[in-house]
Amino acid sequence: MDVNTLNFARLEFALTAGTHFLFVGLTLGLATLVAAIQTRATISRSAVHERMVRFWGQLYVINYAVGIVTGLVMELQLGLNWSGLEHFAGNVFGSGLALETITAFFVESTFVGLWIFGWGRLNRWAHLAVIWVVTLTAYASAYWIMVSNGFLQHPVGARAVDGVLRLDDAAAVLTNESVLMAFGHVLGGGLVTGGLVMAGVSAYHLRRDTAEREFHVRSLHLGIRVTVPALLVTIALGGLQFGVVGDTQPLKMKVFGHDTAEINHLQAEAVVRFGPGNYVPSSGWGAAGYVMIGCWAVMFAVAVLAAIMLRSPERTARARRLHGAVIAMVPLPFLALVAGWVFRETGRQPWAVYGLLRTRDAVSPISAVAMRTQVAVFVLLFAVLLVTNSWLLARFARRGPDAAALGRPAGEAAPEPVVEPTF
Amino acid sequence: MNTLAVALLGLFALGYLVLGGADIGVGMVLPFLGRTSRDRRLVIAAIAPFFLGNEVWLVATAGVLAGAFPPMESSVLHGLYPAVAALLLGWVVRDTGLWLRGRVDARGWRACCDTAITAGSWTVALSWGAILASLIQGSTTQVRTTPSAIATALAVAGLFAVHGMAFAAVRLTGSPRHRARRLCGSSGEATLLAATSAALVVLGLLAGFGLEPAGRTADHASLVFLLPPVLFVTPLLLATQGWVWWTFRHRVTTATYL
Repeated sequence: MDVNTLNFARLEFALTAGTHFLFVGLTLGLATLVAAIQTRATISRSAVHERMVRFWGQLYVINYAVGIVTGLVMELQLGLNWSGLEHFAGNVFGSGLALETITAFFVESTFVGLWIFGWGRLNRWAHLAVIWVVTLTAYASAYWIMVSNGFLQHPVGARAVDGVLRLDDAAAVLTNESVLMAFGHVLGGGLVTGGLVMAGVSAYHLRRDTAEREFHVRSLHLGIRVTVPALLVTIALGGLQFGVVGDTQPLKMKVFGHDTAEINHLQAEAVVRFGPGNYVPSSGWGAAGYVMIGCWAVMFAVAVLAAIMLRSPERTARARRLHGAVIAMVPLPFLALVAGWVFRETGRQPWAVYGLLRTRDAVSPISAVAMRTQVAVFVLLFAVLLVTNSWLLARFARRGPDAAALGRPAGEAAPEPVVEPTF
Repeated sequence: MNTLAVALLGLFALGYLVLGGADIGVGMVLPFLGRTSRDRRLVIAAIAPFFLGNEVWLVATAGVLAGAFPPMESSVLHGLYPAVAALLLGWVVRDTGLWLRGRVDARGWRACCDTAITAGSWTVALSWGAILASLIQGSTTQVRTTPSAIATALAVAGLFAVHGMAFAAVRLTGSPRHRARRLCGSSGEATLLAATSAALVVLGLLAGFGLEPAGRTADHASLVFLLPPVLFVTPLLLATQGWVWWTFRHRVTTATYL
């Protein structure tokens, strides 16, 4: 395998998964928040909560569309570009992916359609049940993906027979220590993302003296109240993972801690065990771990400050400096998500399945030209998707609740679009 | 266990061809059925509540392939690489067009999205044509480019389009429905839809037999782990899809969210 072709295959997967993860993180958080608000709206029939469901729901739907198409490409890319991985680990890795698609994603997508188009057609309790199924299947989906990924990080419950892994112990695969804590960590990260996006967008409107004061004060409060505990869960489960990774991927943690003596020692051990080669993950990419932790610290400081200061609706509406700080927080959960993912994935290199299958042996025998064409096409497509959808999210976030087309009653005309400069 | 795995693969793959085929076909004939912007929106409303639920059948098919037939998955996907890559590209472009069309109220934007939907749908249909033609001719490691394979591929794409027309005729009202009914002749639109569905099932079966999946399953322990939960949820999946079809069973008279 030509080294460049391998690197292009890695680059394509990294960009696909990275783009996917940005949107999925927001999906996990926003779905939960929308379901919670819809619960309140359904019980109380409060108009402001119903409007909140439609507005935040619209952002959720725009975001979901990107998550889904990048997810499709990612799933098929595994088969297309990483046939060595499917061949070697398919018996275990494939099961996790299969269970994800059938027991989680299938239901999630069917119900997302039912939720979007069933507005006003379904009984309101049934409609509420639908958004909760969407949320819970999104969690289930995340769990199965972590089962598959956790297996690559720390392959337990299987043994290699004739160059192919065979499942030995399903329970060990499902309760892998590299799975459960990471799953909770990702859910926490999703809630932080959803909470800060909600708080940031509402702070933007309050800062501009919106007419929708109650709407945005409530949203800002909810966003901050979710963010603070979610940040605590995220750091706790993230911290605990350091112990797990120290046991399962010792070289990664030594690189993170710049412990040169131990790195050399472990590299020498790995050469004895696996044969000649470089087994030290890149320290440059490992620095993403510091970026993640740095983002966490800043988000935590601002969120706690906001939670202390923003008690009464009047104060929340007028705290302009704090609004600015909360708005500035919006990019950080995304940066932290991607940095955390880079930290996790690059730390396992040069392995695709840790200790068992090298990344260079996992890639499909694809011609250099085909791989380059594929990378160029999909990178271009994803760049367009990322820009268009981020622009749409920002546009609908800026336009406020009146512009939400989602769930608009049939008789109600769309409001005149506000003329405003766009780039 | 092997038979069960094959049955599940068949269920999801054939379900996709019939259901997903309908909304792909509607996308292919979108400019023909909807001459004005308003009509196009109605045509899209005919598939709007379904297309997301339809394409998950293919995702599930890919899942069953990856979980229950890993050796076959990598060899077929890799063997038919150009067609699979084109399928994926068309799929993403088409879905993006569908999702984004209604979000910006500008003629140029809608024209871009309509182009994406139609071109993407044709790409998907032609890719399926190439994949099915190769499989039917027994080629699982290379996309066939013989004249007969190309003719089959074009015929398959045409079948998708006719299937879409029949589905649109069942779902729509007014002038788009009138245009969609042109192919029905004296028989009803439901009869045509049943015929195109049956043709797609036959095509799927012919292609499936060429793969000889029963001998290429995952390890027994993996099937024991994977299949019981899948078998357990399958009736639930069918029930939820049935709920969607029931909820949106009426003909389209107004535009929806998309």
